[in-house]
Amino acid sequence: MTAGNSGRKPMILILATEACAYPGADNTGQIHAEYSTNAYVVRVPAPVQFNEEFYLRCFDKGIDGILVMTCGHECPYAGAYDRTAQRIGRVHELMKERGLDTRRLRICAICTVCSKAYLKEVKAMVELVSQEQAAAVGGS
Amino acid sequence: MTEDKSQHNGEGADAENIRVGVYICHCGGNISDTVEIERVVEAAAKMPSVVVARRNMFMCSDPGQSMIEEDIRTERLNRVVVGACSPSLHELTFRGVLTRAGINPYLFENANLREQVSWVSKGDPTGATDKAIRLVGAAVAKARLLRPLEPIRLEATPRVVVIGGGLTGLRCALDLARLDLDVTLLEEQPFLGGHLAELGQVYPSDKPAREILGELIREVSAHPRICILTSAEVIEASGCVGTFLLKVRAAGEMETQCFSAERIAADLASRAHGPNGDHHNDGAGTTELEIQAGMAVLATGFDHYTPSQGEYGYEEHPGIITLPALIRELESGGLGSGPPALNGRPINSIGFIHCVGSRELDGVHDQNGKTELNHYCSRVCCTSALWAAKQLQARYPDLQIYDFHKDIRTYGHGHEDIYEDTAKSGVIFCRFADTAPPKVTVTESDPPLMISLKDELTFNEEIDVPVDLVVLVTGMVPHAIDNLVDMLKLPRSADRFLQEVHPKLRPVEMAVNGVLIAGCCQAPLDSVESAAAASAAAAKAAALLGKGYIEREPFVARVDQALCNGTSACVEECKYNQAVSLVETAGGARKAQVNAAICCGCGMCAAVCPTGAIQVDGWRLDQFDAMIDALLVNY
Repeated sequence: MTAGNSGRKPMILILATEACAYPGADNTGQIHAEYSTNAYVVRVPAPVQFNEEFYLRCFDKGIDGILVMTCGHECPYAGAYDRTAQRIGRVHELMKERGLDTRRLRICAICTVCSKAYLKEVKAMVELVSQEQAAAVGGS
Repeated sequence: MTEDKSQHNGEGADAENIRVGVYICHCGGNISDTVEIERVVEAAAKMPSVVVARRNMFMCSDPGQSMIEEDIRTERLNRVVVGACSPSLHELTFRGVLTRAGINPYLFENANLREQVSWVSKGDPTGATDKAIRLVGAAVAKARLLRPLEPIRLEATPRVVVIGGGLTGLRCALDLARLDLDVTLLEEQPFLGGHLAELGQVYPSDKPAREILGELIREVSAHPRICILTSAEVIEASGCVGTFLLKVRAAGEMETQCFSAERIAADLASRAHGPNGDHHNDGAGTTELEIQAGMAVLATGFDHYTPSQGEYGYEEHPGIITLPALIRELESGGLGSGPPALNGRPINSIGFIHCVGSRELDGVHDQNGKTELNHYCSRVCCTSALWAAKQLQARYPDLQIYDFHKDIRTYGHGHEDIYEDTAKSGVIFCRFADTAPPKVTVTESDPPLMISLKDELTFNEEIDVPVDLVVLVTGMVPHAIDNLVDMLKLPRSADRFLQEVHPKLRPVEMAVNGVLIAGCCQAPLDSVESAAAASAAAAKAAALLGKGYIEREPFVARVDQALCNGTSACVEECKYNQAVSLVETAGGARKAQVNAAICCGCGMCAAVCPTGAIQVDGWRLDQFDAMIDALLVNY
């Protein structure tokens, strides 16, 4: 057993809200729509619980792209979506300071039956991190 | 040998005495047709703290569950991971297995290998197997850090306060009372019945609305378990599920059942004159009182959308009125028993314009001083307009009726028949594009009003239709309840209606524990749907209060007081009154403390705590970090 992401496909972390985006990811499976096997869904009550350092730590560990899939304005928790969006903005600033491409962290709203939107987001992130990995390999 | 229960439950256990069992499901072939189950089991066996890794054709079957139960006993497992379908299906099933085997049910973790692996990866079995292993690894990593939790048990007052005395509130109150709960019904107006009392005959039964309401109000007011307070306003709200405390100012009847048949009939008859009727308070005086209730149901309803001045010519000519105003005229005989006339002016032709204040588009509709456009469909207005047209046709056969719409959405049971009836009986339909609503101009000619549009049904022909009366088919806006929203911290959707936790899974619950919603405060609904929602909310409240106590999932914030510096960052961040507060400890230091009854478990506090002292049980940051680490491990 080894750790780290050297020599493997880029890895995408999807933080999916329990009320909307996680059922949305399930719905994508229920309609048997295919997407890349390197996108990993982690269920969360609300991503508002993650501080800025959490995202930076994920990148440090070797996660290539993070999709924060929220309930958007349909969030059942008062003020949580706006707070999360503000925080992602701050993480983007910190990413810039570290020379990280801010497109690698993206917030979006996915509803319980938003399979099309879910697939579009995953596909776009897979393409982005794959291109970046290819560019990094080509440049090294 | 005496079993050490605390160790068996994982309490205070370090990595050495955590014993994880991993169970991978074939799900018939749903998972195993794509994922190489044997490889996943082999990898799981090598994961930290895993002492048993097995597979079964159906883990949810009796043999599958028995396998886990037996292993918990014989292998002394204190954590269980099942890789199977989505947790939405069998998380509770497997928690039940843990309970039956004598360990805490919250020491279970699921890996979703069907909806999120095999069903979405058929073209890449190798990748799917690798993904399954990593997800099982993440579940094991989280399981190792799980702690035993207990459901939160709260004392519950067997009373429900229902806010809103329209059809929804009345139906809900009566259902609750019949389920042996005490009910306090609050209505801000001096009378009961809500907007339904403004209507005449209603679809689908043709029965007069006031007759339906009259029956309901008589039953509600006669029920010994229901206390009705009219002219009532909630001025303070505190407490939490089980023991809400509302301070109410009321000027109507106080805990008396004096709604006589004559009084009900008089009140309802007065409603035909407008939303506020002509009822006057009979000097009962204002009283403040406190109501303790286990739960609250919001049935605060809607308001009719009021067009801005000049919107489709509104308020620029007396012949431009809204649909609710037309219905009131019809109910009070305003168009006369002979040839139709309004305020002395003959009415030979009427044009209905749909979607006024509904389905508005940015860049197309003028905000006219409104803070926001209404992007949503109000759903009931198409049928209401056609129903009014049908009644007009029946009363005044010579009247020419035009109907201008984007779409006709007669979605409900039997509604399409009303559309067909009106279409067959001579109503002329014209359709305008989303982006090109019709224009209404006041002219000097007779008829004095002109409706101009490009008609999509005649291939975008530009037409001008002169009419005597323009009826603006207005939609619904949520009734203004800003005070309640602030006091109870209620989430609202982008459309400003109250937001349920989930439209299908928890359709009448709000994220604020103990607060339920029903009817048009949630979304535009017709009276049939509102009554159904009211009964659903009543059943939900009764199910939760029926035991005399309430059990909640234990996923709420918890403070590690040893780590807490008392910065109050969590208190300032939290949106829920008194969910977290600073308290003085025995040593004199101020530390955060969570009220588990109020906390909704969103974790907003966790993100701002400088020491990580406050975390959401079951969703701790260290658990997430461990999951990320595990996803990156190659087995």
